[in-house]
Amino acid sequence: MIASIVDTDALLQVVWVSLIAGVGVPACYALAILGSTRALEFGRNGRPVEAVFFVIVGVLGLAVVIASIVFGIVTLVND
Amino acid sequence: MGSEIIVVIVVATALIFDFTNGFHDTANVVATSISTRAMPPRIAVGYAAVLNFVGAFISLAVAATVAQDVVEIQPNSIGLLAVFAGLVGAIAWNLITWYFGLPSSSSHALIGGMVGAVFVAEGADAVFFKEGILGKVMIPALVAPLLAFLVGGIAILFLYRIVGRLRPGPVTSGFRFGQVISGGLLALAHGTNDAQKTMGVITLALVANGTIATDNFHVPDWVVISSATAIALGTYVGGWRIIKTMGSRIHKMDSAQGFAAQGAGATVILAASHVGFPLSTTHTISGAVIGSGAAKRLSAVRWGVAGNIVMAWILTLPMAALIGALTYLVTRVFGTGAVGPIVVSTACLVAAVVLYTRRSQQAGVPPGVPPAVESS
Repeated sequence: MIASIVDTDALLQVVWVSLIAGVGVPACYALAILGSTRALEFGRNGRPVEAVFFVIVGVLGLAVVIASIVFGIVTLVND
Repeated sequence: MGSEIIVVIVVATALIFDFTNGFHDTANVVATSISTRAMPPRIAVGYAAVLNFVGAFISLAVAATVAQDVVEIQPNSIGLLAVFAGLVGAIAWNLITWYFGLPSSSSHALIGGMVGAVFVAEGADAVFFKEGILGKVMIPALVAPLLAFLVGGIAILFLYRIVGRLRPGPVTSGFRFGQVISGGLLALAHGTNDAQKTMGVITLALVANGTIATDNFHVPDWVVISSATAIALGTYVGGWRIIKTMGSRIHKMDSAQGFAAQGAGATVILAASHVGFPLSTTHTISGAVIGSGAAKRLSAVRWGVAGNIVMAWILTLPMAALIGALTYLVTRVFGTGAVGPIVVSTACLVAAVVLYTRRSQQAGVPPGVPPAVESS
């Protein structure tokens, strides 16, 4: 009954996109904060290998955030 | 000539509705940024206004839904009066909820007003109750705040897990900066979804007037630009009482919660805009704010305030429909010409000025001046 009224595909698309983007993007941003904070700490303590690792974590996290936002807006505009 | 005057009144009324939408709704969008001190109130409101304007140009899927899938308007003066009455119903309900400091839903008010007016004007057959109202409005409107609640709740658990062992200083600074981005996205999402509803209604009026053929649906550029401008101006003028309700009375947030809530709200609204669901941005951001608070600690959420908000949500659709229907009946007392809309819109304008003045006097501040927002 409900399935015949609602556009189920569209509704499910909203659900899965929201879950992936709404959780994934903030989590990646948190990784960027983790990476930058830890990199500074390890850098100050003279542990360059760990510092570089966390720089990579931070940069990757930020890159995913920026790429996701750009992808989302481009998808909306081109629809 | 009479119908042209009505079209002008309807367009002006629709743009006023859009303005009140920005005034009423977008405060919710910036409340989290202000509450966590990510941005000063005036900067946050100005920033949201600009991004609301930009967001209105992103998509037209929601405008198509509002104009084609909710009600069927006949290209005659009755249809034009019904659009006018529906708009007045929505504006009246927005003003009432604003006056009492209750978050409502401009979207539901608009849909409710239209349904009530068209139901009385054209009969039940002109209202698409199943596929339109239930399938594209009510069920997505029910799913969206629950989804935002879930997304906001899961997101904040991830955030605390990832940054939980770090020193609070850099974490707070990082998330405050993040809120500039997430708050911007939320404002963009609001502009995308809400401005389109006005575009849809104006287009509906143009169809009723015969300016746009029913088999050649399109939203004219001037409609997009004027709707974007109206919602952005409304945002800038702001609704400071609503900011206070949403930002601090639901629960006190830290910057990570604000970031998670805004991110959750923005993604749900943007995803829904993509498929053409006219969501309530108020419902969605409220769900996200409550979700991000409940995931941390259930007692942190002031459930009494959340309950008041739910009550306003429940009342919005039927009350706006009732006001829309009554407005149509009052307008028709003056016939099918321009006299009815002129009399009713003048009366509404006077009522709005009186309410606004009284509200400002009660708050003890001149209009447009933000009160101090409680923060964590």
